[in-house]
Amino acid sequence: MLGRNWENMNYKTCTRCIMDTSDPEIRFDKNGICNHCARFDELARNDWFPNEEGSRRLEAIVAKIKQEGRGKEYDCALGLSGGVDSSYLAYKAKEFGLRPLVIHVDAGWNSELAVNNIENICKELEYDLHTHVVDWEAMRDLQVAFLRSGVPNQDAPQDHAFFVALYSFAVKNNIRYVLNGSNIATESILPQSWGYNAMDARFLQGIHRRFGTGTLAGYPTVSFFQYHVYYPYIRRMQVVRMLNYLHYNRDEAKKLLVEKLGWKDYGAKHYESRFTKFFQGYFLPTRFGYDKRRAHLSSLVVSGQMSREDALVEMAKAHYPESEQREDRAYVIKKLGLTDEEFEKLLRMPLKSHLDYPSNAVLYQKLIRIRSMLRGK
Amino acid sequence: MIVIVDYRMGNLGSLKNMLGKIGAECMISSEPEVIAAADKLILPGVGSFDNAMTNIRQMGLETVLNQKVIKQRTPLLGICLGMQLLARSSEEGVQPGLGWIDAKVVRFNFAGLDTGNRRLTIPHMGWNSLTVKTPDRLFADMEPQAMFYFVHSYHFCCDHPQDSWASSFYGYEFTAVAGRENIIGAQFHPEKSLRFGKQLLTNFCNGGIQ
Amino acid sequence: MIRTRVIPCLLLKGAGLVKTVKFQKPTYIGDPINAVRIFNEKECHELVFLDITATLEGRKPRMEMIADIAGECFMPFAYGGGISDLEDARKILALGVEKIVVNSHAVENPAFITEAARLFGSQSVVVCIDVKKNFWGKYEVFTQAGQKNAKKNPVQWAQEVMQLGAGEIIVNSIDQDGTMQGYDLKLIQSITAAVDIPVVALGGAGSVQDLGRAVSEGGAAAVAAGSFFVYYGKHRAVLISFPSDKELSQVLP
Repeated sequence: MLGRNWENMNYKTCTRCIMDTSDPEIRFDKNGICNHCARFDELARNDWFPNEEGSRRLEAIVAKIKQEGRGKEYDCALGLSGGVDSSYLAYKAKEFGLRPLVIHVDAGWNSELAVNNIENICKELEYDLHTHVVDWEAMRDLQVAFLRSGVPNQDAPQDHAFFVALYSFAVKNNIRYVLNGSNIATESILPQSWGYNAMDARFLQGIHRRFGTGTLAGYPTVSFFQYHVYYPYIRRMQVVRMLNYLHYNRDEAKKLLVEKLGWKDYGAKHYESRFTKFFQGYFLPTRFGYDKRRAHLSSLVVSGQMSREDALVEMAKAHYPESEQREDRAYVIKKLGLTDEEFEKLLRMPLKSHLDYPSNAVLYQKLIRIRSMLRGK
Repeated sequence: MIVIVDYRMGNLGSLKNMLGKIGAECMISSEPEVIAAADKLILPGVGSFDNAMTNIRQMGLETVLNQKVIKQRTPLLGICLGMQLLARSSEEGVQPGLGWIDAKVVRFNFAGLDTGNRRLTIPHMGWNSLTVKTPDRLFADMEPQAMFYFVHSYHFCCDHPQDSWASSFYGYEFTAVAGRENIIGAQFHPEKSLRFGKQLLTNFCNGGIQ
Repeated sequence: MIRTRVIPCLLLKGAGLVKTVKFQKPTYIGDPINAVRIFNEKECHELVFLDITATLEGRKPRMEMIADIAGECFMPFAYGGGISDLEDARKILALGVEKIVVNSHAVENPAFITEAARLFGSQSVVVCIDVKKNFWGKYEVFTQAGQKNAKKNPVQWAQEVMQLGAGEIIVNSIDQDGTMQGYDLKLIQSITAAVDIPVVALGGAGSVQDLGRAVSEGGAAAVAAGSFFVYYGKHRAVLISFPSDKELSQVLP
């Protein structure tokens, strides 16, 4: 593993989850429990209701969506990637009698399984689908720019495109409620040092201006103001993270999806994107020493879906055969229009972080503080 | 090292792509020295019989191929026209073939055949299944629904039935895979037959025949 | 016995894939390389890529892009668009492409078909015939991505093309293109009845039943489609699909 000096660090793992010192900013309390666990507890207190309170809130929001949607073709929008979270969300939405317009954002990396899952879900649940196809040349240019910047969050271009395209479409078409599969049960833990807020347009556009060669036209991006003020407060778009109001167990969800919708599992989280698979399975661990599986599994441990022992066993498993790594690497390099040598250079360049480039990080910190203050009221 | 014999006829690009996917170490060459050093050989081929045999002879490859295949018994897989060259002659041309398998190559002939209400055009072009007659490691792990891509107007006719390892059906049954010890010919294109062709090529590269 | 080939036919415009309606209004479909990879994983039978602006722009085929695409294709792959000389054809075939598709250039220089067939084998030479009905309902051949009336009768041209040595013909209905309302069966039938070489139906497929009809009523040897394999649902959302073997076996021999 390149670039990190382990000599001065003492290796330590949290006693509650399995996060460890591969997060250079991890802190432990006197019981050896890490700051991520503490953050989970706070998040869970404020936003996680897999209980009766959740059912009540869910009932209320569903009723509201239905009521406001009366007479309209769709009462909400639902972002679908073909992964387990959004797929399960799609299933539950049908159960609740909602009439979503399903929106898929194609950033050029769909695996066949993802596409197949989306097709089956829409067919079986009788949903209408809209796809936003991101201009691939713009996407490619942005992704190569990101690689050249040396930062860890190489998945930002995909994530940014996904949410911006989804929300912009909903707002443009006067669909107020957007169902989103993000959830605390399986994704509460992610160290800030391992990535940076994908929604920071200033950061993203800055990277492109500095390292990109073409135009960003065709890539969905909006300003901080638009995303955080205009959409939610002026257009009153409301994002509903439905999975936080019900009992959501990943394995149970997968089983149900397979049984009822012919859904196919592709192994690890987010591997519906070929780029994400390679990025999380090879690029990030090799270049930075960060293995996101540790964070994913820790999330399952703290939410009670997996025991710490099982998580450690899972973590130790070899999950990405070398032959597949080779093939995926060749594919990513080819698609991005790089040579093997160029990619190797980018893999080994000095490590950077978002702090090395202009961003709205300060603005975001203020936003988080305002939000917690409002919550405190 | 697997050497794909380049006698300037054949879709070498596709073969290289598929072998790369299998992870087999291979190279394309028309150099006798390189061919002489190969562990296994693949003889591709798209085009006409006479052009192929003329090229092979004019490029000085017949000697080294005979040496490798007949004397040293190096495993060799002939594909499509490459299979047909293994015979002693073809109705398509006048040049003698390599003559490594006792067979001749004839044109599809449906005269007098009742092909039902389906008009059979030549070439035989498309996906068809195999009936395996001689179990061999070449066919290991072949799925029952396996189909392979064929595109040819002429087909192999073995003198000895035991040399016909698998057949296919187009109007009538014809030899799709022929073999004699270390020499195999496949009429279809495994490099263009998705996972079924990939399995067959994997078997050839990693074991297949002794 | 041989089964009917079902062939996605995708259009290239610049570096991206597009889909048209009646040869107009190209809509962006996405990156060709990822699309091919998905079709490969869906195990479609064959794939045709047509560069629809190469001839219009007087441009040569983009070899690097073709190589990249062919590298993802482990079933037969046909490429067309701007092929006007034998050296280009040879280069393309060497990249891992099984067949070249010629259209405008075949009309301008019919001898090219014969030369190419002689050099590369007729099974490697496919002629695509784009057809539009005129005001009186008469079928006419068009070239230059549907912009130039070649003043030829499709049936006669198809017969000529066969005599010249082409191995296969794609018959494409401009009127039905992108409508997903069914093939022009009358057109297809007129061509298949007139030639002995395989005819591939293209233009208008909207359902698996349409694919079946092109064979049972049109006499086509193989069926191709664009919109049907890249769009889903009433909003024509881009989503690559390919019918299962089971679905196909119910309608195709």
